[in-house]
Amino acid sequence: MTLTNTGPDTHEVRPPGAIASVVDLKVHFQSKRGVVHAVDGVSFDILDGETLGLVGETGCGKSVTARSFLRLVPMPPGIAVGGAIHFRRRRPCQHCGGDGCELCDGLGRLPEECSQCGGPGCEHCDGSGIDNVDLLSISESLMNEIRGDRIAMIFQDPGKALNPGLTIREQIAEVLYEHRSEEIMERAGFDPEASNVTGTLVRRRATQRDRRPERILMSVPPFRSRRARLTRATDEMVAEALTETQIANPLKVMRRHPHELSGGMKQRVMIAQALACNPDLLIADEPTTALDVTVQARILELVKSLQERHQAAVLYISHDLSVVSQVSDRVAVMYAGRIAEVGTREQIFSEPLHPYTQGLLAAIPSGSHERGRLTAIEGTVPELIDPPPSCRFVGRCPYEAEQCRSADPILASFEPGHQVACFIHSPEPDSSLDQPSFARKTK
Amino acid sequence: MSTVTDTESREETPAETDYLISVTDLAKHFPIKDGAIQRVVGQVRAVDGVSFNVKRGETVGVVGESGCGKTTLGRCVSGLMEPTAGGVYFDISYQDLTRLESILAIPDGERPEAMDADLEEIAMGHRVDRMKGEAWRRYRRNCQIVFQDSFASLNPRQLVNSIVGRPLRVYKEASGNELTEQVVSLLEQVGLGREHLYRYPHQFSGGQRQRISVARALALDPELVVLDEPTSALDVSVQAQILNLLHELQRDRGLAYLFITHDLQVVRHMADRVVVMYLGKVAEAGETSDLFDNPRHPYTEALLAASPDLAKGGEAMPRTLEGSVPDPARPPQGCRFHTRCPVATPICGWEIDDVVLWLEDHPGVFEALSGVSRQDAFEAELSFEEEEAAGKLREALQSEAVPRAMREAVESISVEETTVKIKFHPVDGVELTERAQGHVAACVLDDLGGVTDVS
Repeated sequence: MTLTNTGPDTHEVRPPGAIASVVDLKVHFQSKRGVVHAVDGVSFDILDGETLGLVGETGCGKSVTARSFLRLVPMPPGIAVGGAIHFRRRRPCQHCGGDGCELCDGLGRLPEECSQCGGPGCEHCDGSGIDNVDLLSISESLMNEIRGDRIAMIFQDPGKALNPGLTIREQIAEVLYEHRSEEIMERAGFDPEASNVTGTLVRRRATQRDRRPERILMSVPPFRSRRARLTRATDEMVAEALTETQIANPLKVMRRHPHELSGGMKQRVMIAQALACNPDLLIADEPTTALDVTVQARILELVKSLQERHQAAVLYISHDLSVVSQVSDRVAVMYAGRIAEVGTREQIFSEPLHPYTQGLLAAIPSGSHERGRLTAIEGTVPELIDPPPSCRFVGRCPYEAEQCRSADPILASFEPGHQVACFIHSPEPDSSLDQPSFARKTK
Repeated sequence: MSTVTDTESREETPAETDYLISVTDLAKHFPIKDGAIQRVVGQVRAVDGVSFNVKRGETVGVVGESGCGKTTLGRCVSGLMEPTAGGVYFDISYQDLTRLESILAIPDGERPEAMDADLEEIAMGHRVDRMKGEAWRRYRRNCQIVFQDSFASLNPRQLVNSIVGRPLRVYKEASGNELTEQVVSLLEQVGLGREHLYRYPHQFSGGQRQRISVARALALDPELVVLDEPTSALDVSVQAQILNLLHELQRDRGLAYLFITHDLQVVRHMADRVVVMYLGKVAEAGETSDLFDNPRHPYTEALLAASPDLAKGGEAMPRTLEGSVPDPARPPQGCRFHTRCPVATPICGWEIDDVVLWLEDHPGVFEALSGVSRQDAFEAELSFEEEEAAGKLREALQSEAVPRAMREAVESISVEETTVKIKFHPVDGVELTERAQGHVAACVLDDLGGVTDVS
């Protein structure tokens, strides 16, 4: 397996600008028929401030990869086999206060220092001195702090992801109560550090940790006016979050339930919820698949403009290459639990190297194709139960050779910034095997 | 509005072609019921006067956003719904069609009795919702449908064998071993095989299930297949497989397709002619290449701009369309697209509803609005609780805050204490006009650059 693994060796030198690095991530699922290798050795970096598109067909492990970031994969049946997701938390740049300066490359944020050594570099942070947490192994309480605050997620179907029983205000306020309670208190004119009875009551209210007797106490004078101040401050912040996403009349929308909104509006609410805490990394899991083209275009535009404003890194997941081409700076193509190709948008779209990427691009219908002559990739994504040690694309690949059936190609660098896992482009073919011929098969 | 005959939308073919399907001024309204006795309080005008034809062996694409009536149209054509007005005529000869058109040109009630009898005769023989007996059976055999959601449209408790073999059994085409052999041959035609005969739908992937739906639709060797978003639930690569399959089947069997989809790239690839629908009406129709290269309706243009295209890359974000499709129970006056149109003019049908909607989106004045009493769609009195709000509205309607076209469409506006009296220039509906050979559009603009004279 040493030859066939996209091992962590390719990531020994992590780019300093990477906000998150997925290293050899393996998530499997227990099923009746065997272990499904849904994500099987995935490695990629997300640079700060960029949009990385993650493309692939249904069932190739895109969503599982995304959910692993927030530890949302149910375990069991999921099994975290190995790998790590390194996430580098950021803090506002003290030099410019978030407006962007030379020190922080215009991002307005700097990486936090390592919690162990405080900067000079130690074993814990691989000598870089930058704070680095492994999202797969940190404690649940630290994960709760990061989830929704530093990393936020937009889900595919806004109709299912929003709670039908709560109003829009309640759903967005939930995020704020969890992560921005101090800001709520400051806005309402309270001291978040106060230790007297009133302060404690207010704090417990602002974090939604109050119990029934406290709630009763808060509903009578003189505490009632304090509660009203907190509610007003929260309302303000929710309205601001909704205004960000260009929802007309946020004060009215706030009071509604999800079923009263259209699909595009619901997706905007999801985005508002995700961006309420100004996260460093936004994961968008097929956010426009359920929407019309016209609405999709507006949501894409919105995500792009918000990303530019907030300078957040975005992991944009989609099965549609044409959508990804509009939003991404870099693109990672995923196939059957592995990364097939990574490169900049120009590299992937004008010079695709992996036969799978080429196939995906050719499958997009357009007026220039002769009817009935779309180059479809034959077959479907293989079932990933105990996969054989061959290239995952064997059986659907038009350039299949003997070597592909006996070994799995490593994700190797082809040119700067462009990596591909295919023997065709392998710089040093394995000498123990005969030089394969990659003649294109004819149907 | 439903009485507008847009005969122009029909392609003027010099040769006398027989049409497989001729949709004439089709309307389908759904009643809105309310109250304890479920009184009908309104109509959702899902399809509201649509005309087009489908020839043998051609593909007609229907595109539009969700909620514009595409699916309802498909269901009316395939006989699953009875139209409220107008009709779908199946396998009608050129002579009959011209006769029918000349009869329908005369309004109901003014026709001589002989014509009525004629109309009745044509309807009994060709109109989908009037056919009976042998004619109905022939139509049902020859018109099949493939649904969008292959999860919902295949019975989860039946084996593939009985799902695909069902039409053959119903029409007593085959039984026993012969039936099984026919099912196998159908499955082979759609890229499946004998090994799939005794499986349940849940054992297949989305693409394979859609293939089973296609096999079922083809069982009786139909002439027309209505494809209602057959690929929108599928991945791009699987979509390409299905589109190739559909094309091969069309080539081998001479099928006609009514291809309903919201994906413009798919329609561009598959269709010979395209009908663009907006809010139950045809916005534009024409030959695919002509319509895509030279759109004559701003809605088509906006749809084209919004559809992501690899060729466009990420350089320029498309010009996007504001808002969503208006409520089909209260369709806008004039051109139905004027509320979202980027090039709207004062004669596009601005009305009181537009003012109310504008108020809703711009808080401040709307809270003070206490009532609207309409004379008609274009004239009304808006009463407010405070004088100040009334003044504000008047100011806003004369300022940059509202679209310029809307501002210019106001005929008169006056404030009397707390009420604002607004009157817009009344406008009729916009009819389809021919722009080029077989290319029609419903827009007051002749050439999306200048305004034509509409009297």
